[in-house]
Amino acid sequence: MTAPEPFQAKDYKSDLKPIWCPGCGDFGVLQGLYRALAAIGRPPHEVAFISGIGCSSRIPGYTTAYGFNSVHGRSLPIAQGVKLANPELLVVVAGGDGDGFSIGGGHVAHAVRRNLNITYLVMDNQVYGLTKGQLSPTSPKGLQTVTSPLGSLEEPVNPLLFLLAYGAGFVAQGTPADMPGLASLIEEAIRYPGFSFVNIQSPCVTFGEDDQQLKVHKAKMKSLASLKHDPADQLRAMDLARAYGTELYTGVFYRNPNPPLPYEELIKIRQAEESKKARPRHNIIDAYLQK
Amino acid sequence: MTHAQLGLACCSAAPHIMVDDLILGMAGAGGDGVVSAGESLLSAASSEGYHAMMTKSFGSQIRGGESSCRVRLSTKKVLNPGGALDVMVALNWEDFFKFGAELPLSVDTVLIHEEKVGPPPETLAARGVVPREVLSVPISELTKKSAGSDKAKTSVVLGLLSGWFGIARDGIARGLKKKFGNKGEGLLEANEKALAAGIEYAQAHPLAQARTIAPPNGTPGSKLLCDGNDMTAAAALFAGVQFFGGYPITPSTEIMQTLTREIWKYGGTVLQCEDEIAGIGASVGASFAGKKSMTATSGPGMDLKAEILGLATIAELPLVLVDVQRGGPSTGLPTKPEQSDLFAAAFSGHGDVLRPVLAPTDVEDSFRITVEAFNIAEHYQTPVIILSDQEIAQRKEAVDRIDTTKFEILERLKPSAKELESYSRFKLTESGISPISHPGMKGGNYLGAGIEHNEKGDPTSGGVMHAKMNQKRFKKLDPLKQRADLFELHGNATAPFAFVAWGSTAGVCREAYALAKKAGLDVKLLVPYLLWPIAEQVFGDFFASVRHGLVVELSHQGQLYRMLRMQLDVPRGVRSLARSGANPFQPAELVTRLEGLKEMPQ
Repeated sequence: MTAPEPFQAKDYKSDLKPIWCPGCGDFGVLQGLYRALAAIGRPPHEVAFISGIGCSSRIPGYTTAYGFNSVHGRSLPIAQGVKLANPELLVVVAGGDGDGFSIGGGHVAHAVRRNLNITYLVMDNQVYGLTKGQLSPTSPKGLQTVTSPLGSLEEPVNPLLFLLAYGAGFVAQGTPADMPGLASLIEEAIRYPGFSFVNIQSPCVTFGEDDQQLKVHKAKMKSLASLKHDPADQLRAMDLARAYGTELYTGVFYRNPNPPLPYEELIKIRQAEESKKARPRHNIIDAYLQK
Repeated sequence: MTHAQLGLACCSAAPHIMVDDLILGMAGAGGDGVVSAGESLLSAASSEGYHAMMTKSFGSQIRGGESSCRVRLSTKKVLNPGGALDVMVALNWEDFFKFGAELPLSVDTVLIHEEKVGPPPETLAARGVVPREVLSVPISELTKKSAGSDKAKTSVVLGLLSGWFGIARDGIARGLKKKFGNKGEGLLEANEKALAAGIEYAQAHPLAQARTIAPPNGTPGSKLLCDGNDMTAAAALFAGVQFFGGYPITPSTEIMQTLTREIWKYGGTVLQCEDEIAGIGASVGASFAGKKSMTATSGPGMDLKAEILGLATIAELPLVLVDVQRGGPSTGLPTKPEQSDLFAAAFSGHGDVLRPVLAPTDVEDSFRITVEAFNIAEHYQTPVIILSDQEIAQRKEAVDRIDTTKFEILERLKPSAKELESYSRFKLTESGISPISHPGMKGGNYLGAGIEHNEKGDPTSGGVMHAKMNQKRFKKLDPLKQRADLFELHGNATAPFAFVAWGSTAGVCREAYALAKKAGLDVKLLVPYLLWPIAEQVFGDFFASVRHGLVVELSHQGQLYRMLRMQLDVPRGVRSLARSGANPFQPAELVTRLEGLKEMPQ
């Protein structure tokens, strides 16, 4: 017998109707997230859900958590401000591949190395959906889109390899084609005490390629567990991550077995130490008194 | 008193003037320590109770290159760095000339130079100024003889200045002890000997016309010595700042540097971010999470922050952004003051935005304006720009102690328990201000967003709601224009002559105003601390009597003048007096320019 969970998935679901196309992978991500949040059981008002701009960045509005649907590419800096202002909050960041690896690409490495206890979910669909079908940073080379009518000439970003190389302590990949798997990956990511990243292959039904749809995912996905991958093995994780774009591996690529104290905890220690030297507020300026 | 004794000792044979205001300049190569000497002088004088101000100027080299400082000492409040120098110390000519108009001489200047660099070159005469007295002093030689090495050169210079002009000899000696006391007996001793050698030399070579500064009015230990950036940081801590996100940029960086030493003591955090955008992003995030938050930057950073400033406006999140202006556009003049970011502060970013812009005019009021900025940001739930500039930010002033008990600190309006039962984050209220919740507050859950929203915070693209929300965001700031305390007025209401000035230029205008009054001109002065929105009524009332006026600004365009023209009917006789940064105004020239307007056709 287990104790009843204080919150259920439906408690995190808001009344707003998603703007997504029927069949969009993001519906599955949203379901997975509801389940993960319910499993963790923090009340919605203690959850801050930060996003940028894009189809997937609409996701905070579909939850009952505090949401911040900010500007394109800046969800990570905003989320770090939220977490540092109130470390007790559960902070989740979400967005698409364009938001995270194109316009906001400069922030990812720094969010990783700062290592706040936040979770970053990227809904990777290899295309710009909201602006109707342009080339994205994870689009495969040669892809023909409205902005690459003759085929793209550049290699895609490999989000998994990027995050591993930046030194992220938790890197995973999932797909809504495996709902229970995705929900538990998100839950695991949130529970990891540091910066965690889940790349979610979330198909775009309107502008995505046929070989990137959920049906294909179902047939193609291979769990890392079935490959007997040890998530503590960082080098093997990088080796497996190289298959991004060809293989669809799901599960945890890497989990730091000895997670360091996250940034906000280090700050608490510093604040406790320094607070002993505080002056009364009215006398702060007197530090400049010339005697 | 040391200076009184000195006055008697050196002036028995020569006429002796006692002044209550003395402006000194020093220039040399990077390693000469002229700025350090200026700081010693400033610190000594302020510890004795003088009012004082110091500005420094460098080439933009990282190390070496030319450096200079100006120190103004007074028995009264110092309004600005002053015009022509009373005393100039040049350690070499090449570096002195690089500062041009920043170190102007007059016929009354006493020019002291290092003997070994030779007499003043032709260039000086070519400028049309022949200083009254030129003193060639073997500074290096005196240093070597007294201190045994070349290292204590600045102490000889301090000795000379103290000896000749009666400046804070005891304070300087105390300062040397503080500075070198724990760096080995030898170093302190060497500097003390060098100081004595300088004083001795001055006594042995009296000036043709002795000039000493009067004793201070203030009591010892009654002055704060601080630059504008530090004052801003201290005020932010006083106002309760809990988060600062930023990126280093000259000349604002010291705000972040000071806060990152101090903020932890008060439970806050400084995050040095990867770029300017992340700096403001993190700050907006912290504000969303309910904390008083700030960022600081200079021109190039203002450009990068524009998008998130717009986000803070539409999401109605309090934020203080300090823009320490420097010469622009682009990299421009990174180490020099200019007042050319007013348009950027008021207008940058797309969409219909009304964003309050405040400007301090000196180090002292940087405190008040910073506290005010936090109050306005929190009360009205809006980003507020503080427009400082390089001069205010990096000049040091000895000012009277600030009585912080007279300041009120405002907090954002929280929803009541009843309001949380059915909460609307952006409720359309009479004042336009809606109670604001934050993550962690039960029942206050909402979606903050850059997208237009309805009262609950849900996204909308409807024109009717968009218009209502725009109206709300503008209306809530209306009361600001009635804030008479954000304007400083001098002179008769009926005066036909007028100055208007803001920021660091205001200090020059305050002195120009006093000079013009003394010269018998019926003049008044308006110094706005609130630059945007324009308080039409305040300016309109001020201009009503004005037939000849100058809006004085250190920028090519004269941006405030243009904004005034945009918002109200500025009388034809009111002109813009604007010139590019790093060309500081002098009080006397402003009076001449104002008087000159009489000849202009109306």
